[in-house]
Amino acid sequence: MLATIASSTLLGVVGSPVSVEVHVSNGLPGFTVVGLPDASCREARDRVRAALISTGLTWPQRRVTVNLAPTGLRKGGAGLDLAIAVGVLVADEQLPPACAADMGFIGELGLDGSIRPVPGALCLVDAIETAQVVVAPDSAVEAQLVGRHQVRVSPTLGTLLASLVGDEPWPALPTPDDLPRCVNDADLADVRGQPVARFALEVAAAGGHHLLMSGPPGAGKTMLASRLPGLLPALAHSDAMVTTRVHSAAGVALPAGGLVRRPPFRAPHHGASSVAMVGGGGPRLQPGEISLATNGVLFLDELAEFHTDVLDALRQPLEEGVVRVVRASHRTTFPARFQLIAAMNPCPCGDGGAPGGCRCSGAAVMRYTRRLSGPLVDRFDLRIPVSRPDPRLLVGGVRGEPSSVVAERVLDARHRAASRGVRCNGDLVPRELDEHAPLTNEAADKAESLLRLGRLSARGLQRVRRVALTLSDLAGDSAPIALGHFETAISLRSDPLVMTARSGG
Amino acid sequence: MHSQSSARLMRSTGALRSVGEPGLLDAIPVEGWVTALCALDGMGPKRLVALLGCFEDPRSAWDAVSDGQAGRILQVCQAIGAAAPAVIAAWAHQANQCDVAAVWRRHVEFGVGVSLRGEVGYPSVFADDIEPPVVLFHQGDPDVVVGPRVAIVGTRDCTNYGYEIAFDLAHDLSQAGVSIVSGLALGIDSAAHAGAISADGAPPIGVVGSGLDVFYPRRNGPLWREVARRGVVWSEYPLGTAALAWHFPARNRLIAALADVVVVVESHAAGGALLTADAALERGHAVMAVPGPVRSAASDGTNELLASGGSASVARDASDVLIALGMAPGSRRKAIERRSSPSNHDRVVLDAVGWQPANLDDLVARTGRSIPDLAASVARLEESSWLARRGGWLERVAKPGGP
Repeated sequence: MLATIASSTLLGVVGSPVSVEVHVSNGLPGFTVVGLPDASCREARDRVRAALISTGLTWPQRRVTVNLAPTGLRKGGAGLDLAIAVGVLVADEQLPPACAADMGFIGELGLDGSIRPVPGALCLVDAIETAQVVVAPDSAVEAQLVGRHQVRVSPTLGTLLASLVGDEPWPALPTPDDLPRCVNDADLADVRGQPVARFALEVAAAGGHHLLMSGPPGAGKTMLASRLPGLLPALAHSDAMVTTRVHSAAGVALPAGGLVRRPPFRAPHHGASSVAMVGGGGPRLQPGEISLATNGVLFLDELAEFHTDVLDALRQPLEEGVVRVVRASHRTTFPARFQLIAAMNPCPCGDGGAPGGCRCSGAAVMRYTRRLSGPLVDRFDLRIPVSRPDPRLLVGGVRGEPSSVVAERVLDARHRAASRGVRCNGDLVPRELDEHAPLTNEAADKAESLLRLGRLSARGLQRVRRVALTLSDLAGDSAPIALGHFETAISLRSDPLVMTARSGG
Repeated sequence: MHSQSSARLMRSTGALRSVGEPGLLDAIPVEGWVTALCALDGMGPKRLVALLGCFEDPRSAWDAVSDGQAGRILQVCQAIGAAAPAVIAAWAHQANQCDVAAVWRRHVEFGVGVSLRGEVGYPSVFADDIEPPVVLFHQGDPDVVVGPRVAIVGTRDCTNYGYEIAFDLAHDLSQAGVSIVSGLALGIDSAAHAGAISADGAPPIGVVGSGLDVFYPRRNGPLWREVARRGVVWSEYPLGTAALAWHFPARNRLIAALADVVVVVESHAAGGALLTADAALERGHAVMAVPGPVRSAASDGTNELLASGGSASVARDASDVLIALGMAPGSRRKAIERRSSPSNHDRVVLDAVGWQPANLDDLVARTGRSIPDLAASVARLEESSWLARRGGWLERVAKPGGP
C-alpha cells in the first residue's frame, strides 16, 4: 500500500516542502530510500526501523521503498525521520490513513522512539501547507511563530500514535516563558570616562552607522562595542522574523518565546574563514556570521587580524544588505543587513595612536595597514581613536549615563528617521540625502573647502552628511543641517591608520 | 696578465659577449669595477677592503671573483668567515651574469659620482675619519661641503612639536650659512631638509642607506631630488641597492662624521638617532639635544641624553647651535604672529590642547565642554592654523605655513 506524508527540508534559510512517499509491497524484505537523500538522511532507515521496534510496533517483513519528492532536490538532515516513520505505519496499515491526513511531520527519531528537535524548525514549518504540524516539544515555540498551523507536539513515537488514533489527547503545548525582559548585563553606565566613544556609540545606534574604533589594547573597545545592542530599539516583528529564521536555520539557541526581539550581537573570532562569515558551509548551506547578525550588530575585534579575503567579502553585503551564496549544485540568498562595529590597534605595537607614541618600523606599519582595503575603511561612517581612560576615573569616577536613558534618545532619533521612510539614517541613499539633509550655507562652504583641500572625498562627504543628519536628529534640530553638526561629524571621522598620520616630506 | 684575465672573462661571460667590443671593457674606469664589486650580494665594507687589498687593481679583483678564484686568498676568506665557500660561489655566479659595462653606464647616465678612498676627489671630511668608507656614491656637488655642518636627526614617528622644531632649526641654521645634514627618512629627517630647502640658504646634505635611485621611503623621492639639486646626497651603496636594516647604523656614522654638531630633536628610548649621537661623541663632535616633555615617548631618548650628564648640551633654537659652532648667534626675536587670535571661548580649548598631542576625550576631560561644542572650536582653530589634526589627534601649531 502507498502513503504520502508532508514534511520539508532546509536549504540555507529557506524550507522546501517534501512529500514522503512510502510504498510497502510483497517481495524480498528490504528498505530503500530514494530521491537524493544525503548521508544523514539515508541513515533515517536505521533510525526509523529501530524506533518502530523500540516502540513495540512491528516492522513490516516486506519490501519498503521511500521516495522523497521532488526527487531533484537534495535532502539533508534528520528532519524527515518522523514523516518516514508515520509513512511506514500508514503504508503497512498499522495506522489508518485518515489519522495522518492533512498533517505535516518534522522531527528526528531516537532509537528509543523519542522525537527530537531539528535546526531550522521555523523555516521548515513555514514550508508546510497542511493544517496541522507535528514537531518535537522543543521546537513548538519556533513552529508556533509561523502562525498558520495548528501545532501539535509529542515526546515519543508511542504517544504520537496514541494521539493520532485518538486514544489519548494531544500533549499540551509547552507554555512559552514570559517574554524576555531586556536583561542586559552590559550597561553603558559601567563605562567610565571615554566621552567621545560613548557619544559615537550613541550616534552609531541612532543612525545605524558603521563604527571603527582604533586604540591601544586595554582601551575598552570591546567593552564599548558590547554595549551597543542595549542602545538599539527592539526589532519590529518583520525584522524579528527574518533574524529568527536565520538563527533557527543555523541552530542557534533562540530566546524564550522563540522570537529574536533584541538585535543580535555576533562577535566572531578573527580566525573566521570566509565561508563561516559569509555563509554557505555544509551541505545545507549554513548561514554565516554576517547573516546571524542581521538586524543587529556584527562586531569584529582586531579588525586587521582578519584575513583580507574575509574582510573584502564583507563589502558587497555591506552595500546590498543580502549575500548571495552560489555553489555548483544550488544557490541561495541570505539576509545580511547588519551594523558593523570594528576595533583595531592603530599599529602592530598598539601604542601608535598618538603622534610620537609608536615604536613600529615603517614597513611593519605598512604591512599591518595594508590588510585593510581603502574601500572597507571608507564604509565606516564613524571612525574614532579610543585611548586608555584616566586611571583616576576608573577607580573613583562616577558611573556614566545608563543605557536606558541613551536608548530613549536613540529611539526618538529613529522615529525621526522613520518619518523619512527608512529604518535609520545609515540606510539613506545619496538622492534621499539631498532631499532630507540639505546643508546650511556655512556648512556647505565648509564642505566645499574640505573637498578642495582634499581632506574629504565625494563619498566621504555623503557619509559625513548622514552622520550630521543623525546628530541633528539627536539634538532635535530640523533641516537644513547646521555647521556645528557638520563639524562634529567631521570630528568623528578621523583617519584610523597611524601610517598616514606620520609626517613625511 | 691583464689581457689574459680579460680574455678569460670574455670567454666565461655570456652577457658580455653580446656587448661585443673588447675595447669596451678597457674603457671602464677603476670606479666602474669597484661599483660592480659593491653591487655583489653581501658585499660589505670589510669584504671589499680585503678584496681590493689583495689585488693590484679592482679589475683583477673582479676577474678573480668571477672566476671563483677569490676563495684561494686567505684574507678574503677570513673577511667573509665561515660562509666563505658559498659566498664566493654566489659571487662568481652573479659576476658571470653581470654586464659591468652596463652597470657603469647606468651610473654615469644617472649622474652618480664615485669616489674611492685614497684616490683624488675623495672628500677630505671622510678621509680623516676613524671609519672612512671605501667607496662613496654621490649625486649633486660634493664640493659644497666646505662650510659648517649640523646634522639634525630624530625619530621617524615624531610629534608635531618635533617636526616644527626640526623644521625651524634647519631653516634658521641654513639661513645662517650652516649646511644641514640628515638621513632623508620620514619624520625629523624630512622636517630638517624641508626646513633647509625652505630657507634657500647653505646647500643641504643627505646621507642615505640605499642606492641613490632607491628612494626610501618612496614618498620622500621629491625631497631626495631637491636635496641633490641644491647640495649633495651621499650613499655607500651602488644604484639598485635596497635599504637593508644594517645599512642604517653605517649611514648614521657617516652623518656623525660629516657634522660638526649633531642635534637630536626627538628620539625614542632606543632610537637610531641615539646611535648617530654616539658615533658623533666617538669622533669628538658635539652633540646637542632638544628637550621635550618628560611624558612624551618621542622625547625619551633626547631627555635621557640631556639627563645622562655632560654628553649632550641643550639646543633650544638655532642660536644655541650657532654658539656651539662658534658662530655669532642671531637675535632671538619672536616671530610676528599673523594668525587671527582665537576667541576667548576657543582660547580655552587651545590651552587645553597644550603642547602635547591630545584627542577629543582629553579635551572633554580638561574643559568639561560638550563634544559638539568642542568639535566646533577645534574646527575653527584648525581653520585658523592654531591646531593640526592627525588621525584623530590634535596638536598645537607654533608657526603656521612652515612645516
